[in-house]
Amino acid sequence: MAKIIVTTSGKGGVGKTTTSASFSTGLAQRGKKVAVIDFDVGLRNLDLIMGCERRVVFDFVNVIQGEANLKQALIRDRNNENLYILAASQTRDKDALSIEGVEKVLNDLADEGFDYIICDSPAGIEKGAHHAMYFADEALVVTNPEVSSVRDSDRVLGLLASKTRRAEKGERVKEHLVLTRYNPARVEKGEMLSVKDVQDILAIPLLGVVPESASVLTSSNSGSPVIADAQSEAGQAYTDLVARFLGEDRPHRFMTVEKKGLFNKLFGG
Amino acid sequence: MHPMARTAPALELKGRLLSTTRLRVLRADLAAIETQLADLARQMPQAVKGMAVVLESDESLDLGALLLQLRQHGIQPLGVIDGPLATAATAQGLAVLPRDGRTVRAEAPAAAPAPAPAIAARRDTRIITDPVRSGQQIYAEDADLVVLSQVSPGAEVIADGCVHVYGSLRGRAIAGARGDASARIFVRRFEAELVAVAGIYAVAEQMKDRPRGEPAQVLLRDGKLAIESLGN
Repeated sequence: MAKIIVTTSGKGGVGKTTTSASFSTGLAQRGKKVAVIDFDVGLRNLDLIMGCERRVVFDFVNVIQGEANLKQALIRDRNNENLYILAASQTRDKDALSIEGVEKVLNDLADEGFDYIICDSPAGIEKGAHHAMYFADEALVVTNPEVSSVRDSDRVLGLLASKTRRAEKGERVKEHLVLTRYNPARVEKGEMLSVKDVQDILAIPLLGVVPESASVLTSSNSGSPVIADAQSEAGQAYTDLVARFLGEDRPHRFMTVEKKGLFNKLFGG
Repeated sequence: MHPMARTAPALELKGRLLSTTRLRVLRADLAAIETQLADLARQMPQAVKGMAVVLESDESLDLGALLLQLRQHGIQPLGVIDGPLATAATAQGLAVLPRDGRTVRAEAPAAAPAPAPAIAARRDTRIITDPVRSGQQIYAEDADLVVLSQVSPGAEVIADGCVHVYGSLRGRAIAGARGDASARIFVRRFEAELVAVAGIYAVAEQMKDRPRGEPAQVLLRDGKLAIESLGN
């Protein structure tokens, strides 16, 4: 049975698509069969981040409306043969999505033998976000260590607990905190919320802390998820995050300021 | 938890801010009123046509005749402010709206001592174990409410009885929502945005000098809101 995971946040621009891309890639690198779906109808970017924007023929809405079948629309990732991307429509609007349509696509994917289906949610709490989270078994709640993002994530947690299929059946969506754009130097100065501050307010288990990193922009510009960049701290954080998700015990890194010795300060990079 | 009903709802209730004009009757002289209305209609015909008004008067007058005059000029009376016109308004099928200066919530009765209301049968205490998230609203009707987790900023916990939060209260807590002035709020970590008991409320700004993050109870003393530390 395929596990459906939604990447959501409420707040825009916090790293949902970045996380969906790296998380799906990480799972695929571990041999899982993964499909990642862009639910942001009209403002699609998953295809850009995954580097397959020039291979999109049919999209999610085409499949829902029966204009194409799943096999025609799914794009196979160049670097991971068990990773598939379903792009969002850029020309239609959100009304093209329906709960029944989404359900059928998810069921068809499950029938194709996918282990994980990642739903990349748009920002906000309206229809698009609702469709992305409705069938989720688990949720990655992407949050920046910043007051507006935390408030919005809290709102989204409320929706996950009430407006999803699982909630309606009296079950729970398993929630994971992904704290992105973390800057330990600023936290130390008291300019940014710490991991503890955020956990105190959101009260959900921490899956991973992804540090602020220039490599995220570089990666998205080159159409490659940052997890593929082994040098990047953000990439490494995502690798750790996927490992933890699959049950491995990995200590959280990149949460403290690296204290450089005198030698390093003079000669180090 | 019950599964959501699958049938399409017939109604939807939504909040809406409506711009209306208050028409105050200064003198109950229908002839003078008519002259003034005619002048207004001549000077600002676009404004007057279709103008939605709420009527107010300190004297009683022939409401039926007044309504006729207003309607002849295209003015649309929506209702009257509670006062001498109230009874006539109800007879005419118009809304009667509360007087100014009421900051009470809709559920609480007027500040004047109300006759002892028929005691509503108290229901079992409602117990919530999960965090109450921003945007969520929990209402324990005719009961006390106990929250065994935190209440986020932007969340509301409301009870006709007492409200107990055995976690951090960072949102709003309203006790005695139907006017029970003996209701109280008990909080383990007090960081509330707003608290109210029987309609008397205070916002965080007003509670600045209260110790934050400590156990507290909120109650009415002589009709005034008091926030007191709870013993350790």
